[in-house]
Amino acid sequence: MSDQGIKSRPAYGKITGDPAARHALLVVEGAGLPDELMAEGVDPSAFETWTVAHASTVPGAPVMDEAAGAVRPFRSARQLFSALEERLARETMGLRLCAAGTEPFLWDVFNIGAVAGLTRQEMQFAQMGPQARRIFCVHCRTVSEGITASIVTCAGCGASLFVRDHFSKRLAAFMAVQIDAEVPGEVPPSEEIYR
Amino acid sequence: MTGTIPVRVREITALAPTLKRFAFEPAHGGAFPTAPAGGHVMLTLRDGARVMKNAYSLVSPPGARGRYEIIVRKVAQSRGGSAFLHAHVAAGDVLEMAPPVSLFPLAATARKHVLIAGGIGITPMLSFLAELQARGARFELHHLSSPEEVPVFERLLAPYAVDADIRVHGGGRAAFDLAGLLSRQPLGSHVYTCGPHSLMDAVGTTALALGWPRGSVHKESFGAAAGGLPFKAVLTRSGMEVMVGENQTLLEAIEAAGVAARCLCRGGACGECVTRVEEGEVDHRDDFLSDAEKAAGALIMPCVSRARGPRLVLDL
Repeated sequence: MSDQGIKSRPAYGKITGDPAARHALLVVEGAGLPDELMAEGVDPSAFETWTVAHASTVPGAPVMDEAAGAVRPFRSARQLFSALEERLARETMGLRLCAAGTEPFLWDVFNIGAVAGLTRQEMQFAQMGPQARRIFCVHCRTVSEGITASIVTCAGCGASLFVRDHFSKRLAAFMAVQIDAEVPGEVPPSEEIYR
Repeated sequence: MTGTIPVRVREITALAPTLKRFAFEPAHGGAFPTAPAGGHVMLTLRDGARVMKNAYSLVSPPGARGRYEIIVRKVAQSRGGSAFLHAHVAAGDVLEMAPPVSLFPLAATARKHVLIAGGIGITPMLSFLAELQARGARFELHHLSSPEEVPVFERLLAPYAVDADIRVHGGGRAAFDLAGLLSRQPLGSHVYTCGPHSLMDAVGTTALALGWPRGSVHKESFGAAAGGLPFKAVLTRSGMEVMVGENQTLLEAIEAAGVAARCLCRGGACGECVTRVEEGEVDHRDDFLSDAEKAAGALIMPCVSRARGPRLVLDL
């Protein structure tokens, strides 16, 4: 079974920004600015940047500068998402939202943006970090994170799942389907391919 | 687009010295098709031997199937259709109407709709208002009017104005803070504009300068400047030569010669009438072709564009 050629598989580029934007917010799933993900000639100081420090030692609330060039660290991706929801709810037209991170992070950002009214034209994504996948078991709806193998056992229903290239933007996850539905127990060897 | 519906003029209401509302009903009974919000119909008007086809936005609510309404402005520079409707069409007359189509739809995913109209450009907005209120959608409408017509447009908008953010501005373009209006709109807003080209251009350029994405800016073009110097059009496939007069469009001249040309909006917006140019320089006046296509000069929209010279050779 091969999933080659699935057209819904998202493709990613570099962060180019948009000269027409009134203001650009870049959210990064990491502590530093992703210089290698910026397109040539794009100045990171043109963006207001939010980072994920994965640490408890970030400064407290007082730094609330919303200008280009400002960098605001968050303890975790969850904390950043929560602040992002509040921020987008009071934003006006002309904003561009850019994100750099792993695929599940990018599509979590996409969904927060979409709920706030941003269209795909107003968002830009650059992929970095591990290729591990978030998967969705189409049988029991359990979502599993950090999947690196081509075939895994579902944490929800125990089925042997094949991880497809079929990606759901809404769920920010790859679809996983039972591989031995025709002949129970006939499960090919799994390979570690998403690293 | 095949066939026309025979419609009977049910009622004509004078709204202002140059504005009349025409209400139509199906000539043979029954009901009209459900019209799309922002839709327009094309009327075929016969003044003796002269045949005119004019597109008008429906102002009746999209769900109203017993009656279609349009509002027509009699313009000094009218090419004939609107003046004919004002002067010669009476209640009880039967006209041919092409069923409604929409090139100006409401964005289904918009969080808020901002409507900006100028003058008679209010017409598609009237069908939007009915639809937006039926959907319970969030919107605001700004209408720019000449000072003397403010009461006319206020009366037209009154049925929709209860608990709604609807304003008629009679103080001129300079007093209307377009940039302020567009800079305070929440994410997910869409702006729709219809009216004079200068107003629609101002809305487009102001929105883009404020960072609005192109896909969130919508305009309904109608009645572009029609006149120009007369010229000759050679139709190679039909083997004909057609003279285009100074108050006539290329499309009208082609139709008058008996050649059936495809068309839909007759305002340079939809692209239906696009025709290949074999020789001659084009004065592009449409909103359909890209700047690169206009520069290449291989295509023309005969409903609004003309020759920039004495002769055009068309693959038609």
